[in-house]
Amino acid sequence: MKQFRKIATYTALALLPVFANSCTDLSENLYDQISTDEFYANKNEVVSAVLRPYTHANAWITPSGQNGWWRLSELSADQLAWPQKGRHGYDDGNWIRLHYHTWTVDDAPIRDCWRLVWMGTGFCTTAIENIEKRDASAMGLTQAEKDGYVSELRLLRAFHYLRILDLWGNVPIVTKVGEPTSPPTATRKEVFEFVEKEIKDHIDKAPHLSKALLGRMSKEGAYAMLVELYLNAEKWSGTARWDDCIAAADNLRYGPVGGVNGGLALDTNLIDTYAPDNSNLAKETIFAIAYDFQISDFAPSWTGDFYHFVQGKINGNDRNGNDGVVVIPGVYTTFDPADKRKKEWILEGPQWEYNSADTIPVITTGNEYDGEQLVFVDNIRRNKANSTVSNMTEGEENSGVRFNKYKLGSIKDPHYRSTDWAVYRLSWVYFAKAEALMRKNGGVATQEAVDLVNAVRQRAFDKKVWDTHKYTTATLTMDELLAEYGREFIFEGYRRQELIRWDKFTNGTWWDHKASENFRTIFAIPQNQRANNDSLKQNPGYPN
Amino acid sequence: MKRGFSFLSRVCLHSLWMLLLSLVAVSQSRTITGKVTETPGNTPLPGVTVQVKGSTKGTQTGPDGTYKLEVPQGATSLVFTFVGYKREELLITASGTANVSLSADVTALKDVVVVGYGTQKKSEVTSAVTSITAEDFRQSGARNALDLVQGKVAGLQISRLGGTNPNTGVAIQLRGVTSLTGSQQPLVVIDGIPNGNLDLLQQDDIESISVLKDGSAAAIYGTQANGGVILVTTKRGKKGPARVDYNTYFRKEYVQRRPDFLSADEFAAKIASGEIPNATDKGHRTDFVDLLVDHGNLSQYHNLAVSGGNESSSYRASMYYQNLEGILKENERRQYGGRISINSKGLNDRLTTQINLATNFNKANRLTDGGNLAGYYAFQPTYSPYNADGSWYFETTSTNELARLFQQTNMRQQQTSSGDAKLTLDLVKGLKASLFGSLQRDSWTDGAYADLASELSKETYQGTGYASQNNEMSNKYALEPTVEYNISINNKHNITAIGGYSYRYEVYQGFNANNYGFVNDRFEENNLNAGNQLKLGKAGMGSYKNDNTLVAFFGRVNYAFGTKYMVSAILRREGSSRFGANNKWGNFPAISAGWNLKEESFLHDASFIDQLKLRAGYGVTGNSGINNYSSLVTMGTGGNYINPDGVWRQTYGPNKNPNPDLKWEKKAELNVGIDYGFFRGRLTGSVDVFTRKTSDVLESFTAQLPPFVTDNVYANVGTLKSNGFELTINSTNVDMKDFRWTTDVAFSTATTKLAKFSSSLYKATYKEYGGIGGFGALGNAIRTYEGGKLGNFYGKRFAGFTEDGLWQFYKKDGTKASADQLNSATDFAVIGNAIPKYYLSVTNSFKYKNWDLRVFMRGRLGYDVLNTMEMFYGTKKQLPNNVLHSAFTKHAQLKDGYQYSDYYIEKGGYMKLDEVTIGYNVPFNGNKYIHNMRIYFTGGNLATITGYSGNDPDFIKDTGLNPGIDALNNSDNRTPYMSTRSFMFGLNVGF
Repeated sequence: MKQFRKIATYTALALLPVFANSCTDLSENLYDQISTDEFYANKNEVVSAVLRPYTHANAWITPSGQNGWWRLSELSADQLAWPQKGRHGYDDGNWIRLHYHTWTVDDAPIRDCWRLVWMGTGFCTTAIENIEKRDASAMGLTQAEKDGYVSELRLLRAFHYLRILDLWGNVPIVTKVGEPTSPPTATRKEVFEFVEKEIKDHIDKAPHLSKALLGRMSKEGAYAMLVELYLNAEKWSGTARWDDCIAAADNLRYGPVGGVNGGLALDTNLIDTYAPDNSNLAKETIFAIAYDFQISDFAPSWTGDFYHFVQGKINGNDRNGNDGVVVIPGVYTTFDPADKRKKEWILEGPQWEYNSADTIPVITTGNEYDGEQLVFVDNIRRNKANSTVSNMTEGEENSGVRFNKYKLGSIKDPHYRSTDWAVYRLSWVYFAKAEALMRKNGGVATQEAVDLVNAVRQRAFDKKVWDTHKYTTATLTMDELLAEYGREFIFEGYRRQELIRWDKFTNGTWWDHKASENFRTIFAIPQNQRANNDSLKQNPGYPN
Repeated sequence: MKRGFSFLSRVCLHSLWMLLLSLVAVSQSRTITGKVTETPGNTPLPGVTVQVKGSTKGTQTGPDGTYKLEVPQGATSLVFTFVGYKREELLITASGTANVSLSADVTALKDVVVVGYGTQKKSEVTSAVTSITAEDFRQSGARNALDLVQGKVAGLQISRLGGTNPNTGVAIQLRGVTSLTGSQQPLVVIDGIPNGNLDLLQQDDIESISVLKDGSAAAIYGTQANGGVILVTTKRGKKGPARVDYNTYFRKEYVQRRPDFLSADEFAAKIASGEIPNATDKGHRTDFVDLLVDHGNLSQYHNLAVSGGNESSSYRASMYYQNLEGILKENERRQYGGRISINSKGLNDRLTTQINLATNFNKANRLTDGGNLAGYYAFQPTYSPYNADGSWYFETTSTNELARLFQQTNMRQQQTSSGDAKLTLDLVKGLKASLFGSLQRDSWTDGAYADLASELSKETYQGTGYASQNNEMSNKYALEPTVEYNISINNKHNITAIGGYSYRYEVYQGFNANNYGFVNDRFEENNLNAGNQLKLGKAGMGSYKNDNTLVAFFGRVNYAFGTKYMVSAILRREGSSRFGANNKWGNFPAISAGWNLKEESFLHDASFIDQLKLRAGYGVTGNSGINNYSSLVTMGTGGNYINPDGVWRQTYGPNKNPNPDLKWEKKAELNVGIDYGFFRGRLTGSVDVFTRKTSDVLESFTAQLPPFVTDNVYANVGTLKSNGFELTINSTNVDMKDFRWTTDVAFSTATTKLAKFSSSLYKATYKEYGGIGGFGALGNAIRTYEGGKLGNFYGKRFAGFTEDGLWQFYKKDGTKASADQLNSATDFAVIGNAIPKYYLSVTNSFKYKNWDLRVFMRGRLGYDVLNTMEMFYGTKKQLPNNVLHSAFTKHAQLKDGYQYSDYYIEKGGYMKLDEVTIGYNVPFNGNKYIHNMRIYFTGGNLATITGYSGNDPDFIKDTGLNPGIDALNNSDNRTPYMSTRSFMFGLNVGF
C-alpha cells in the first residue's frame, strides 16, 4: 500500500505542472504545413508562389485529363470527339452533349473548367497581393525583382481572363482575394477592355523570353496574348481590331524578341516542336507549360485522354490511356497524301510494337478486338457487328485515327515524359497575321498572307513536291485558311475559336453534329456558381 | 513471431501463477462447515462471502466451494453473497453444516449501468442508455469488439462491410447520420479512455458495453458525442481465490451466394454458338474467382485469464492469441496481446487505485481485401492464369490476381497499447476526488514488395520490382481530474454531483518511402536503398505530423426524490484547437428527468407491474471530429516547376479558403422513453422516441469563384433532422425448472432529412453522394435536395428499350428519350431510398438442463439497393469479358451502353439467420480442478431471406451518406467481399 501511495503522490506531482500550464491552451501547432501569413519570407518562397499558377495551368490549358479549356474547345468543335466505344466512354453523356452542343447549365465539363480557371486566377491574385504588400527586402528581393514578379503575375492573370473571355464572355472582374463577395457580372466588352489594359500596363515591365523563363509568361507571351485578343476582337468586343492584331504579331516577328533557344524563329521541321526534348530544341515556342519527368516528376498528363489501353506498346513505354479522344471521320482525309503531318502527327492503321520494324503486332485485350492486332480506323462504327451506323454512341475500341503529335519518347529516352506543351507558338502568330491581313482585305489573300502561311506549311512537304502544294493568292481562300489552321494546329485547342471566327461553330455541320443555336458560341455560367452568387448573370439563351 | 509468443506467454504465466499463489486466502477455526455450489450444474463456487447475519464476522469459500466459520453465540443465520449471484440466507442448524446452492442473478448484473464518468442504478437512469452484458453478446467469434453487439441495441447500426476480412473494422452509426463531413461514428470509451482503440478489446475481456443513445446522456462528452457514446467496461478481478478461465474457438468459413457469372463451359458454348461473337475460346476452363478462395481457412482464438482478489485488492490478467483468416487467400490477421487490471485500496480504504494495461500486437496480411474480386469474376473464363510454358499470363488491361498473390506482399505490423490509472481519494464522507490519466499509442509499419517478375513491376516499373514502407504513430493523452459528492438528506433527497476537467491531446506522425530499380528480389522492402531510383529521382518519400487539443470543464448533478422522481443535469464547456479563432469554445447542456409511476399510489395495486418509469431528456452535444487545422489558411504544395536557375522546385499556393468562424456541429435532442417490467420480470424492456436536430452542420461549400482562391469553403451551414422510435422487448416465455425460453427483440426506425443546406453566404441546391464508378463514368447515385431525405437515389426513370435494344427514359413531360437528351435537374427523379427504414433483431434462447440453444435473427427492411452488379455485368456490353447469366436472359434485349436508372434499383430488405448456437455446460459435481466448462457450436450467417438478387445485402453499406450501392466494383471506398457461412466450435473452461 505504501508503494501505491508513493506512486500516486509522485504521479499527481508529476502531472500537476502539465495541468497548470496547458489548462485552456488550444493553440494549433503546425508541423508539416505553413500558414499563408508566414509565407513569402525568402526568395525561394516567393518564386514557389509565383510558379503555383503554372503547375495549375497544366490542369486547364492542356489536355490534362481534366475538364479544362482544352476539352471544352476541342470536343465541341469539328476535328475531335470522344465517342462511346463499346462499354467505355459514355461518361454521363458529357462528351456527347459537347459534340451535339446540347450542354446544360449543370454539365460537369463546364462546371469543372470554371472552377479550374478561376482557381488559377486566384493563385495569381493571392501571390500578387502578398508580394505587393510586403517590402522587397522582407522577401529577400530587389525592388526590380519584386516588380518583375508582380508584372509577370498580372500578365499571367490576364491570360486566365483571356481564356475566360473566350469561353464565357460575360463574367465578373475581380482583382482581390475575397473582395468583393458576390461580384457582379461584367459585359464581355468590359472584360475584353480589362484584359487589354492589364496586358498593356504590364507588358513593358515584363522580362523578355529567355531560357530562364522557360515555361513562364514573358513580354513575348504578352504580345501573343494581344494577337489572340485582337484576332478575336470582332467576336469578343464587337469591334474588329485587325491592325492591332498585325501590330502585335509584328512585335513578335520584328521586335527585339527573345526565345527559349536563341531568338524566336519558326522551327524547320515537324519534330522539334513536339519532341520529348522540345524545351531544348524548339525555337518557335512563345509560351509553354514545361515538364520534366526525369528530374521533377512533373509530366504531361494528356496520355489519359489520347492513348489507347495498350498504347504503351506502340511507343515503347508504360503510358496507356483511357481510349478517349479520337479524330472525327473525314478530318484525316483533308490531309494531302504528301503532307508529312498526316503520318507524323496521326496514328492510323495496324499498330506495331515499338522498334519491331512492323513485325510484332500490338495485341489488344478485353474489348471488341480481344486478342487481335490493334488497327486504328478512320471511321466510328461497330465494324465487328458489320454495322454502318456512325455516331457518338456506336464506336469501338479502335474507332477513329489518333493523336500522335506530341511525343513522350520511349522509356529509355533521356527526356522521356518531359515534352513541354506549347500554348503559343510562332507558327500560330504567322497564321493570325495572315488571317488579319486577309480579313482586312475583304477575305482575299494578299501575297504577304500567303507567304506567312507558306512559311509554316512548307515544313510539311518535301522540296520535290512543294511547288505543287504551296498556296497562292488564288488558292488561299478563307475556307482554305480554316482548313489549313485545322491541319497545322490540330489537337492544340484553338479549333472552337477558329470556327467561331468563321461563323461555323453553331452554323456548321460535321459528322454527327448538326447546326446548333447561336447563343452556344459562349458556354453557360455553371448553375452551382449562380446558386451561390445572385449577381452572377446567366449568359443569353441559357435557361435562367 | 510464434516463438516470441510462446516465450512471452511462459514468462507471463509463471509470474501470474506466483502472484496467484501469494493471494490465496487462509482458513479459520471451525464451528460451522459447509459447501457452496452453483445451480445449475452443482459446481463448487469459490470466493463466496459467508457472513454471520448481523455481525461483521465472515469468511469466503475456498477453491472447492467449502468454508469453515466460527460462529459467535446467539447467531441465527448465515448470509451467502457473491457478485453476480442471488443472495441466500440459511438458518444455522444444530448439525453444524450449512450447504447452499446459489443461482446466478441475471438482473443483478444489469442493475447498474455504466454512464459517462460513473455508474448509475438502472432504476434511476433518466436518459436513453442501453447496456449489453457478456452473456448476450453474439457468439460467432468477434473480429472486432463491436461485432459482439451487432443487432443487439435498438438504434445502433453496425455493419461489417468487409465480410470475413479480418483487417477491416465495422461501419457503425447510432440513430442515423449526424454529420455530413465530420465524424459520424460514436465515441468509444474503454474503461474511461476516450477514443479507445477497439484493437485492444478481446471478446472475453469485456464485461459490458453500454450505449449512450440520446443527447441527455451523451452531453457529458461534449463535442465528441454527436454520434453517441459507447462505453466499454472490461472484466476485473473479483474478491476470492484465484480463478483461471480459458476460452477458445475454431472457425471455418464457406463461400455462399457467389454472383451468378457464366461458367467456363457455358461461356465456351456461347462462343461456339455465336452468342458471344467477339471472343475466342482459348481452350482453358478456369474458375478464376475460386482460385482466390482459401478453402483451407481456419481461424482460431485462445484467451487465458487469471483473476482473483482479497479485501483490499483484486487483479485480472489475460493473454490471448488469435489467428483470423478471411475467405480469400493472403488475407489474414494474427494477433496476440494481453490486458492486466489491478484494483487496490489503501490509506485505510480511503484511496482506491485502478490500473489497466492493455496491448495488442498484430500482423496483418493485407495483400487481399476483396478489391481484386471484380476483375476475376469478369475474367474471360477460357483463359488461363498461366501461359503455355507455365509462366504467368499478363496483359495490360487486366491484372493477374492469382499471380499477384504469389509475387507481391503487403504486411502491416501494428502495436497498440494503452495504460490508464485512476486514483480516488475519499476526502470526507460523501466527497471523493479522483485523478484519471491515460495514454494510448498506436503504431504500425507497413511493408510491401512486388517481385521483379510481377505484373506491377513489369507494367509500371520496367521489371525492376517495387518496395515501400510506411510508418505511422499516434499518441493520445487524456487527463481528467474529477470531484464527486454524494449526500442523502433524510433518506429522501439523494444528490450525486460530479465535476471535472478534461485535457486531451492527440498527435499523429508518419513517414513513408518507396523505391524501385532493384536487381534482384533478395531484399524485398528491407533494404530500400538498394533500388537505383533513389539516385535516379523516382523514389518517393514523405512524412507528416499533426495534432489537436481538446479541453473541457464538465459537471453533472443527479437528484432523486426517494425512488419516485429523478432529475439529472449536465453541463460541459469544451474547446477544440480545430475550431476557428472566433469560436473556440462551446457549451453543451442537458437535462433529463424520470418518474417511477409504479411508486405512485394509483399503481400500487397493479401487481402485474414491476416497474414503469417514464423518462424524458433533452441534451445538446457537439462534433469536433473534423480534420486538424480545418480553420487555418495554409499553403499547399502544387507540384514542382522550373525555377529561373533551371532547378525544379516545389510550388506553393493556398489550399484552403479562410473560415475563422468554423465551429462545432451542434445536435439538440429530445428523447422520451419508458422502461417497463411486467409479470415479475417476465416481460421487460423499454420504448424510446426521439427527435433530434443537428445544426451548423459542416460541409464543403462551393466557394464563390471569383473572388476566392480555392473552390471550397468549409462552413457550418446545414441542418439535419431525424425522428425515430426504438423498442426493446425481453420476454421470458417459459420458465420452468429445467426449461427456459426467452425472446429478446430490438426494433428501431428512424428517418433523417437534410432540412437546410444554405445560408445567406453559402448556397447549394443539392448534395450528391455515392459515386457509381466502373465503366462509363455514370456519376453519383444519390442526390439530396434541401428538405429531402438522406439516401435518396436520384436518376433516370426507365421507359423500356427501343427495338434496337437502346435505352429509353421518361422525361418530365412523360415522353420517352435517350439518356443524353435528359436534363438531370428536371427529368431525373427520386427513384428509391438507400437507408433502411426498419431494423429488427430477434433472439430466441432456450435452456434445457445443461443445454442451451440460441437462435439470433436480424435484418433491415424498407430500403432500396442499386444493383451495380447487374448494371455492369448483366449486359452483353461487358463481353468479351465474363458476364452474369442475366445478360442473356433478363437483360437479353439490352444492346446499349451502361446507364444508371431505376431499372437497377431493387428492394434490399432482408432477414437473416445470423447465429445459431448450441451449448452444453458440462456438469462437474464436486470436481476439485474444474468448476465450469461449456462447449458450444455456432453456425454463422446460415440463411438470408431477401428479394434482392445481388450479393449478400448485409454487406451493403447502410450507414453514412453513400449507402445502398452493391459493392462489386471498387469505387467510392466500396470493397467487394464474399459472403460466407461460418461454423465454429468453442470451449470455455474455468479452473
